Amino acid sequence: MEKEDFEEKLVQMTKPEVNQLKHQDMLAKAIANAKDKTVLSWWWLIIPLYVISMLLMKSLFMPNTTLISNIHELTTRQKLVTYIFFLILPIFFILFNIMSIRKVYHLSGNPKSFIFLKSVWLNIMMILFSILILIVFSL
Amino acid sequence: MTESELLNRIKSNPDDFADLFILYYKPIFGYILRRTGNFDEAADITAEAFFKAFKHINNFSYKGISIKVWLYRIATNELNLHIRQKKKHNSIFERIGIEDLDIFNDYLQEDRKDYEKELQKHDQFLIVVKELKTLPIKYQEVISLKYFEGKENKEIAEILLIKEGTLKSLLSRGLEKLREKCNQI
Repeated sequence: MEKEDFEEKLVQMTKPEVNQLKHQDMLAKAIANAKDKTVLSWWWLIIPLYVISMLLMKSLFMPNTTLISNIHELTTRQKLVTYIFFLILPIFFILFNIMSIRKVYHLSGNPKSFIFLKSVWLNIMMILFSILILIVFSL
Repeated sequence: MTESELLNRIKSNPDDFADLFILYYKPIFGYILRRTGNFDEAADITAEAFFKAFKHINNFSYKGISIKVWLYRIATNELNLHIRQKKKHNSIFERIGIEDLDIFNDYLQEDRKDYEKELQKHDQFLIVVKELKTLPIKYQEVISLKYFEGKENKEIAEILLIKEGTLKSLLSRGLEKLREKCNQI
């Protein structure tokens, strides 16, 4: 068969058509509901970071004080608040972000590492900050 | 409603993504079905493409291309990824957590029956698709968009991000290779 005839045959040939798809509406709804950005706001992490920076400033400007001694002082005075901000909240953040990373990985269908890291960099940063707060608190 | 208005609506309310489905799911599904000749692959790849589109819809901006072209581009990339990697992962239908999965699977099964019948009606087409799938991906893309989807060269060039001159040369060489393969049958 000549090239022109073959081209014509390809154009004229009957092809399968898609007229109705019953699964379409349910799939549209499921995709619209699938949330893969489950990162919490930075706002919550700002509180312990702010408190630590205040304590750091206090240790810098007040003689005979250190960051650790100031944290210990705060722990003695505001026991509950300190535990919430420096222990419970960072642990919650670490767990939440690990779950979030798992969910993104699962939803993305085993993506390439670079693409995956690009989409979860914020979660990783938040885990690192939370670990930093835990380390400072445990000193 | 214009594409731009629809896009803004989706950005402010993700539930309106369903409207994009109404407009483009069937054409894209048809495109993938005609390229693969297989219902299950078409269902999986099309769903994956729309899921990716939904995830990145906020980054879409009009830079000379329409949403339709953008969706064809995503679908083509997803299909090529599928061909190259034959990637093994859980079905997207399980991953996105469809409520009433049993009902959804029933619908999918009904669609599968309908479209397997539809595919069988076009046996000559399936023979061409089988031969086309043995060619390099670059030829599969252009031949499928030109002769199966009936797209103009300009639109194909936009979808594939190539120049029209390159497209013409790919079409000519691809057509010749496909003709040789089909003549051997």
